[in-house]
Amino acid sequence: MLKRGFPISRRRLIGSGAAGLAAAGTMVRRPGAARAQDAKTVKIGFLAPLTGEVAAWGLPGLYGCQIWAEKVNAAGGLEIGGDRYLVEFVPYDDEYLADKASVGATQLIFEDGVKFLMMLGGDPMPAAYAVASQADMLVSTLLPSDLTPDTPNLIAPSEVHPIYNVTGVQWLAENRSELKTAVICAQDDALGRPSVATYQAAFEAAGITVNDTIFFDISTTDFAPVMTSMLSSNPDILCLDTAYSDFVNLLCEQAYQQGFKGQIISCTADYYRDIVANTSKEFMEGFIFQFPDFDDPALNDPRVNFPDPNGFYAEYVERFPGEWSAVSWEYVSVMHLWVDAAQRAGSIEPQDVLAAMKEGGVGRHAFGQAEWWGEELFGISNALVGDWPVVVIRDGKAQIADFKSIPAWWDAHGQLLIEKFEAMGEMHYQRG
Amino acid sequence: MATVAGSLERQAAGRGLSLVAAAGWIALAAGLLALPHLLSISQREVAVMLLVNVLLVASYRLITLTGEWSLGHVVTMGVGAYGSALLASLAGFPVVLAMLGGALIAGFVAWLLSFPLFRMKGFYFLIGSFAAAEVIRLCWKKFTVPFGGPKGLSQVPELPPLDLGALTGWLSLQLGEPGAGGHSGAYFLGLLPVHEDLVIRFSKPLFTANYYYFCLLVVAVSLWLLWRIERSRIGMTFHAIHWQDSLAASVGVNTRGYRTLALVVGSVFAGLAGALMAHGVGSVAPGRFDVTQMVYVLIWVIVGGTATFAGPIVGVVVLTVLNEVVLRELGIDALRPAVYGAILIVSVLFLPQGLEGLWRGRRNRPAKRRST
Repeated sequence: MLKRGFPISRRRLIGSGAAGLAAAGTMVRRPGAARAQDAKTVKIGFLAPLTGEVAAWGLPGLYGCQIWAEKVNAAGGLEIGGDRYLVEFVPYDDEYLADKASVGATQLIFEDGVKFLMMLGGDPMPAAYAVASQADMLVSTLLPSDLTPDTPNLIAPSEVHPIYNVTGVQWLAENRSELKTAVICAQDDALGRPSVATYQAAFEAAGITVNDTIFFDISTTDFAPVMTSMLSSNPDILCLDTAYSDFVNLLCEQAYQQGFKGQIISCTADYYRDIVANTSKEFMEGFIFQFPDFDDPALNDPRVNFPDPNGFYAEYVERFPGEWSAVSWEYVSVMHLWVDAAQRAGSIEPQDVLAAMKEGGVGRHAFGQAEWWGEELFGISNALVGDWPVVVIRDGKAQIADFKSIPAWWDAHGQLLIEKFEAMGEMHYQRG
Repeated sequence: MATVAGSLERQAAGRGLSLVAAAGWIALAAGLLALPHLLSISQREVAVMLLVNVLLVASYRLITLTGEWSLGHVVTMGVGAYGSALLASLAGFPVVLAMLGGALIAGFVAWLLSFPLFRMKGFYFLIGSFAAAEVIRLCWKKFTVPFGGPKGLSQVPELPPLDLGALTGWLSLQLGEPGAGGHSGAYFLGLLPVHEDLVIRFSKPLFTANYYYFCLLVVAVSLWLLWRIERSRIGMTFHAIHWQDSLAASVGVNTRGYRTLALVVGSVFAGLAGALMAHGVGSVAPGRFDVTQMVYVLIWVIVGGTATFAGPIVGVVVLTVLNEVVLRELGIDALRPAVYGAILIVSVLFLPQGLEGLWRGRRNRPAKRRST
């Protein structure tokens, strides 16, 4: 259930046209509202960019949450502490701006009465958390680089960006040991820089030499010079880091047009079918990234804590064609953790849920049992870390090639990662 | 009351204002003072940002008076924000002094930039200002020390509490039932919520109303100064340079000096707007001052109009209310870019003088000569 009709991103609106409008039109319905008339309602705040450059990591997540909430409400809601609750998501577009996020957090917490606040994180987080902390509100982020010792109510329970990127490099080194050199590029921002530090550590740990690291500004529109510069040292591997969705697409097109035939690795490959269409199946064969399509049979493994991933994916792509992205399932997986903790706590109050969530130092992450971790890197163990999938494009389709353990890599190379983070000024004690 | 009204009427008449106009000013002041008590907590934050943006566009108009349009004004605002935040958090300046310091730093940076920029005019100045602003913005991203890199600065100090304890002997506080968040139920001067320990706090979200009044005072004084500058001989010279810069130079006017003066003064107030924002929001990041935000400023100014002092202010107020209240309440805020684009096109086609053209045409024909 959504509080109100909600937005369509500018770009996807252009891309999907009437289909997108029709999809958004369906979202003002409240399919669960008619059921369970004796049920209470628990409101969940969704404070993320729903328009602008970063909307691709907000809006698809909201779509996923809506599918999840409709299913939960259709089944009569959630049983928590002897009461039955319907779930209502209250979205607020922060436009990836701190001042808008502050207003949004105030509205969601003090006026709408949400019990949990989900965010993408990044630039808007400090302002929003300053508001949330006054209400002891539990807040989640997809960017653990938001975590500091001063954020005890902030958790990163789904995505441990960018640490999981080490698994892709590790798998690459194990399966294509002939590749010895790499070039990294990223937009120069809060998403790109820690990710670069992580890839640098991962390549070094794997014995791969990084020829060059290129930062480009977020306002870049012509990627031909960026790619020319990357290819100038004739690398075996192009690493696209955590470039924004549109940037990955444009960088791949440039690599294709400039004749690159080597290996590409990236954190994300949202809308990768568009990239395949704009290049070729052969060019994209073997492309490595970190976010699976949820129709992947490997996700039916019993250790995966995401109920019916294939069914979720099927419904998602049917209702929101072309919108599946890295975050489509992530906010939902955060909700799975929240529900599990709330039911164990018998309460929807934020501090009760947080205590239950961290009980025993372990949690049920989407990709298996995981541990609360991060003291050495973030100054606080509020990131849930376990296995993470390595995804490879084969014959134009993303497939999970393997699951790799992040804690195992950390145990072997943790100090190297800290050194790279320090060199990039990304340790929690180095941030402004 | 009648005496006050009569006095105001006489004063208004002396300045060529009608009784209606005087009543309008009184109503506006009363409305602005009452506004926080009519808004929800989150809307008070929107009101604060609206005041900041009002100062931003008014300061931008001062620069446009000389005929030059800059694409670096939002970055100048950022210079004030960063300057004030750093002065307060690193150098330990009191917040109010840090704000003034941030504003002066913005003016100083503008003065430095004026040397290369005023070797250009028109379109070249526009592009040059964009390039110069990008250099500054990229410096914020590049240098983690002291600017915090791409994530910027967080935990920017807020305005310190104002202790009323020593004044309670003679102040009349209207005490009521204690409210949420330590609010005592008392109001200083009948407006400002007072904490239960008789301290006026400015922290958000519960005491945002107090920060609103602080911003209202700062912005009102700033607008009055900008208004006085524009109506002074200096302001008239700005207009002369805009329309006849060669003629002005031929009679001994230092056109470059006056253009520099407009840029520096406008930047000081833009910097002050940035400082108000930084200490209100509590964080500063480079992404807040990119070209997208500058485009919004241009839209506010163009839709409002630049021929009169009120034009850009009307533009920012109307579009902010449309964006933050109307579109959000309707749940179609994601259509903002399309709505803004449509408004801009409609404005250019049918209101080339902006919203101010709606009343200027009827009221003040000679003012059209100042129109851009």
